[in-house]
Amino acid sequence: MLRRPLLLLLLLAGCSKGPQADLQYISSARSLAGEWALVNEQANQGHLTHAYVKTMRQSIRQQLQTNAQSLTEPKSGYGSEIGALLREPDDAPPAALRVHATNLKHVEDSLESA
Amino acid sequence: MSRTALNPLELTLGIMTAVGGFVDISQLVFSGQAGSMFGYSLISAFAISTIGIMVYGEMCGRVAAVAHQPLFSLMRHRLGLKLGLVTLVASVLSTLVTTAAEIGGLGMILNHLTGAPYMLMCVASTLALMASMWILPFKWIERTYGLLGLFMIVFVVALVAMHPPWGKMAGGLVPQVPHGLSNKQLLNYSYFVVAIFSAVMFPYEAFFYSSGGIEEGWKPKQLLTNRVTSIVGMGLGSLLSIAVLALAALLFAPTDVAPQMPGSVALQTAIPFGKLGLLAALLGMLFAVGGAAVETCMANAYSISQFFGWEWGRHKKPWEAPRFTIAWIVMMLLALAIVLTGVEVMKLVGYAVVFSIVVLPLSYLPLMLLADDKSYMREYANKWLAKILGWLFFVIVTVAAIAAIPLYVLTAGGQG
Amino acid sequence: MRRDSAIKLVSQLLDLPLIDKDGRWCGVVDDVEFDGTPGKVTRIKALLVGPGAYEGRLPSWAFWLARKIAGTRIARVPFDRVENIASAVHLDCAAEDMNLNRAEDEAGRWIPRWGAL
Repeated sequence: MLRRPLLLLLLLAGCSKGPQADLQYISSARSLAGEWALVNEQANQGHLTHAYVKTMRQSIRQQLQTNAQSLTEPKSGYGSEIGALLREPDDAPPAALRVHATNLKHVEDSLESA
Repeated sequence: MSRTALNPLELTLGIMTAVGGFVDISQLVFSGQAGSMFGYSLISAFAISTIGIMVYGEMCGRVAAVAHQPLFSLMRHRLGLKLGLVTLVASVLSTLVTTAAEIGGLGMILNHLTGAPYMLMCVASTLALMASMWILPFKWIERTYGLLGLFMIVFVVALVAMHPPWGKMAGGLVPQVPHGLSNKQLLNYSYFVVAIFSAVMFPYEAFFYSSGGIEEGWKPKQLLTNRVTSIVGMGLGSLLSIAVLALAALLFAPTDVAPQMPGSVALQTAIPFGKLGLLAALLGMLFAVGGAAVETCMANAYSISQFFGWEWGRHKKPWEAPRFTIAWIVMMLLALAIVLTGVEVMKLVGYAVVFSIVVLPLSYLPLMLLADDKSYMREYANKWLAKILGWLFFVIVTVAAIAAIPLYVLTAGGQG
Repeated sequence: MRRDSAIKLVSQLLDLPLIDKDGRWCGVVDDVEFDGTPGKVTRIKALLVGPGAYEGRLPSWAFWLARKIAGTRIARVPFDRVENIASAVHLDCAAEDMNLNRAEDEAGRWIPRWGAL
């Protein structure tokens, strides 16, 4: 509940070239969280093959790692959010993954309007 | 004018091949992202660029059928050695990156289908592609990948099953800029317009289509077949890309998903149809992308061979055109080497699209000049409609070529 | 166009592909050789084919690179072997007679002759 305003505050306090440079990784991580949620949701409904689910989760995690490592401000609020996303288990509930996506979306929107 | 012949079976096969062979990894990626980020508004970019490739595709086939010379050979004659070499090098490099993107895409698709490691699947698919290019003659290479690519029709079926807002989709045919975009989003939108034009009008398509016409022994009596195949086939093929875009607008946009991986596109058919839909989508993507990998590799071998006057063509046995054979083998292995460096497929797709659009004006200008030239084309030279559309699209691709690199840099490849 | 027609060298001859009497591609017209002296009629004596003929048509650094990659071979095709000039130069002889396909034959030794339909 407090995470969203906290992220925004941290963002406003530290608004510099860092967050702007990291915007592409934040956008990518936000979308990956959404893709992960969609995969898990469809897997729970039995719509996907085992091989597809396993390899999509692997690819998403790999891409998220790359995004996290590319951040210029890894210790920022959004950096922590991506870290928390990476700590989710492979079969995390879609709703939990979408919370991360929503939080990252708020950061993205603030950066784009700054 | 000679009597034109229309063989219904040849025509049907030609159209089906063009449909199944239209989509490649770049179009899959950009359709998915375009729909999720900008709704239906970029349908117009697909529609307009498809008209462009129809115009140039028809011209390529006509030049092949009438002048009996492939595009790159006539290009060297028109541009001369120096400018011709610049065009050759630029074209080969951009098409090589495109081949690498297709092989990376194939590796990903096979990884999702089988669970086997990605790099191993890139090597396996390269070997399988090379085997098919060695064993099969030209007509069967084209038909196999084109017809099996028709599994992609599952995307159109999925779209119909999802009951999309047809009115809004039709509205997307009108060129527009969505309301309320920030400056950054506007730059992203512009990048996507350029990227879609590049992905639909890749220069390798012209070189492949022109050489293919000669491989198949086209004469002026096949001009009607050429026209119908390029217009109907490419038009219907474009519908596959538009279906992927529309499904992304329906399914991905509400959850702010802009697919970061080609594999996510297959979710669009899994949602309505479950595992069968997923498998059909992955198989369609496999053959469409596989076909594109073969086309790009052969387009490079055609370009090099025709530029230097070597024997060329897959209507000959590999040992009857040895330097051409060595050229396509080397191109395929170089593309695999690029993939094995570990560069991400999405990055390769971005590079392929940007490098290709920069080369587009150099590729299509000689085609326009040749198709206009009555000394080669006789009574089959461009009439007024082909002239107007050809020059109009030349201006469009030139503007896109100038804007491509700045837009790629400013938007970090469409990601921000 | 026949070989005794008036010809525009650059727009109608240079950089056209060469095709022998059997329909095989055997190079490109990379340069032309003239016969004649100042003040007299000039005729084309031969077509020059091969990377050695790029000299003068490319900047020196580019020609150096071409030489390193492809060598300096030049094959001379006497102009009287030209049968017809259209979108390609058609010869009235086989490529072997003019030493035009040596590189193709050398490359052919590396290609296995099986497996293709």
